[in-house]
Amino acid sequence: MTKTTLLGTAALVLLGLGGVASAADPIRIGVVTPLSGTYAPIGQQVRWGLELATKEVNAAGGILGRQVELLFEDEEANPAVATQKAEKLFQVNKVDFLTGTVNSGSTLAVGQLAERNGRLIATTVSFSDAITTDKCSPNVFRVNARAGQQSAALAEWLAKDKPKAKVYYLGPDYEMGRSTVAAFKQAAEKTGAQSTGEVFAPLGSKDYSQYFGQLRAARPSVLYTSTAGNDTVRLLTQMSEYGLLRNLTIVGASGTVTAQNIGAIGKAADGFVTGVGYSAELATPENQAFVAAFRKAYDTAPDLYGADSYGLIGFFKAAVEKAGSTDTDPLRKAMEGLSWSTPQGTKTMRAGDHQAIQDMYAVRIAADGSGNRFDVVGTVPGDAAIGSDQCTRF
Amino acid sequence: MPEATLRTLSDPGRAGPVSRLSRLAPVHWLALAFLAVALGFAAVAWATGNGFYLRLATEALIFAGLAMSVDLLLGYTGLLSLGQALYFGLGAYVSALVLRDVAPSFWLAMAAALLAGGVAGLIGGVIANRVKGVYFALITFGLAQVAAKTVYNTRALGASDGLIGIPQISIGFGPLSLDTADPLSFFLLVLALTVAAYAGLAYLMDAPFGRTLAAIRANEKRVPFLGFNAWRYKLAVYVLAACVAALAGALYPMLRGFVSPELMFFETSGNAVITVIVGGVGTLVGPVVGSLLLTALRSVVGSWTEHHLIVVGVIFMLSVIFLRKGLVGALLARLGRRTGQGRTTP
Repeated sequence: MTKTTLLGTAALVLLGLGGVASAADPIRIGVVTPLSGTYAPIGQQVRWGLELATKEVNAAGGILGRQVELLFEDEEANPAVATQKAEKLFQVNKVDFLTGTVNSGSTLAVGQLAERNGRLIATTVSFSDAITTDKCSPNVFRVNARAGQQSAALAEWLAKDKPKAKVYYLGPDYEMGRSTVAAFKQAAEKTGAQSTGEVFAPLGSKDYSQYFGQLRAARPSVLYTSTAGNDTVRLLTQMSEYGLLRNLTIVGASGTVTAQNIGAIGKAADGFVTGVGYSAELATPENQAFVAAFRKAYDTAPDLYGADSYGLIGFFKAAVEKAGSTDTDPLRKAMEGLSWSTPQGTKTMRAGDHQAIQDMYAVRIAADGSGNRFDVVGTVPGDAAIGSDQCTRF
Repeated sequence: MPEATLRTLSDPGRAGPVSRLSRLAPVHWLALAFLAVALGFAAVAWATGNGFYLRLATEALIFAGLAMSVDLLLGYTGLLSLGQALYFGLGAYVSALVLRDVAPSFWLAMAAALLAGGVAGLIGGVIANRVKGVYFALITFGLAQVAAKTVYNTRALGASDGLIGIPQISIGFGPLSLDTADPLSFFLLVLALTVAAYAGLAYLMDAPFGRTLAAIRANEKRVPFLGFNAWRYKLAVYVLAACVAALAGALYPMLRGFVSPELMFFETSGNAVITVIVGGVGTLVGPVVGSLLLTALRSVVGSWTEHHLIVVGVIFMLSVIFLRKGLVGALLARLGRRTGQGRTTP
């Protein structure tokens, strides 16, 4: 071996080492999510879902041979805090991707920040339709189902299970409550339901019996509600006390009855139906494996947010591997139209508005004294629930 | 002249403008030192190309404007406002709407925010100044909650989502112009505005107007016997504070490109009061120092742990117990000279 080849080999080895070193740099994903305050339980599920998926990906060799690192910041469910934290992750920590925002205001504001920083974000929780319709952004993706998909799924189930139902609407009197009712009403009327009336009660109402007269007079077969938290507890228990739950099917928004308030509602929650993108009771092998791993790691079942956040890492991995890098433009191109598998089944990212298409489920609560279950009573194929692409910006 | 009498009575050592110029009060020296530190920080951040910290400091200065307006009421007049975020948020929304829908003009946005802040401050002031003490605090709190909930439920104002898409603008000063998208120039602009606000307000608080406010704080019942209408002065300072808060708020969408109803929530008002108390009540420079410290602290501690609110809470309690006059008050006491001005005591 001559001196020159030795030097050459040494140089090659050094170069190779250098190359290996940069390829072994972790891929950083920023997570701006509420870790304190009212939304902390949602942020906790987001965190668990992401951490579990990241652990699995890293154990299997990472993405393109690089490990994945998650950097968490508390956004306090306040857009003003979220943008500040996201900017830190983008500019100081140089994250390759960002996720975690919960309330829609934070997602919109952080999405705009991502645009100005030339980076991509995804939300796994926000369900305001605006994010992928009139306020859509080329830098924002949504892997969870939006409000429109949830109400479309519920309306589909209603049309099949109770054709030409007479529906009465009771919502909380604030903007989100009213727009949720309006969206479902539109979807239900399209599939043949008959509206018999609507009423809006102030947030935090103590006594719902004042609305029961109107409700009975309208003689509905179905009641739709979009109350949340303790309002649902009072509404359903009072209806139960007045004997109004007989011969009446209660349906509602996905946040109306949750793991947080179902204990307080008790038996009155039995039979409540909602449209969601996930239930831990889904009988597919992928989901059962996911639920078992989640339970083993965190001693509790995953909810919608945990499952959607878990699925995001799979989405990111598939897109980075398809693009061959984490650079914004190739990554965006790879994400558009991408199909990937999640515990909820295969999801497809629609290229036109960056909204994931997924199968939706009608879920009925069984509260029969032996613990509460969210039973899947109907499946609505993704294409039937997604609705038209209303994004005109890109 | 009753004003002159009052002034001489309350501060016999400082008779005229000549002595004010020749002997700057220690608090002003602190303000100058702060300005030097801020410029040094800007130079370092610019040299290292660190836009994030410049923008974080800009945000801290914007919230310092809100804290200064609280200090005008709390530190100089003895009125605790728990709803100052109302005017801050109002300024932010007005500025956002002007920039997005009317014209991307800095001066127009600031003028509109000032007008809105003045009118709203007059209305709010007439309502809130009917009562005193804890009732004043409650009324200001209630007014802000009503406004926040109204915005939160108004679809034309973006409801709970807020407004995004506020353009980054270029600000013209005659032949020169600067861009809000450039972290350094916007930081320097906001710093200049903060210094101007400090200088203007500090001058006003040294003038007969400020002396009368100090008299109201010390003993409101005696003020009419000196020939002053206390109610009129309280209304005037309330409107002034509302204008300062609105102008500070108007800068927010220029920095962040969005507004959301959270800017009007009690959290924002409460943080401003905490900032003033930690920084130093009745010093004007205290709120600025407090805002920078607390913003930096939240950003750093928030990255370590989600229990950052406990840290801020503990600091607040410690400063109430051990630094009764806030950081700046304690510094002034340490400097030793002329602390008998009474202005640093709440």
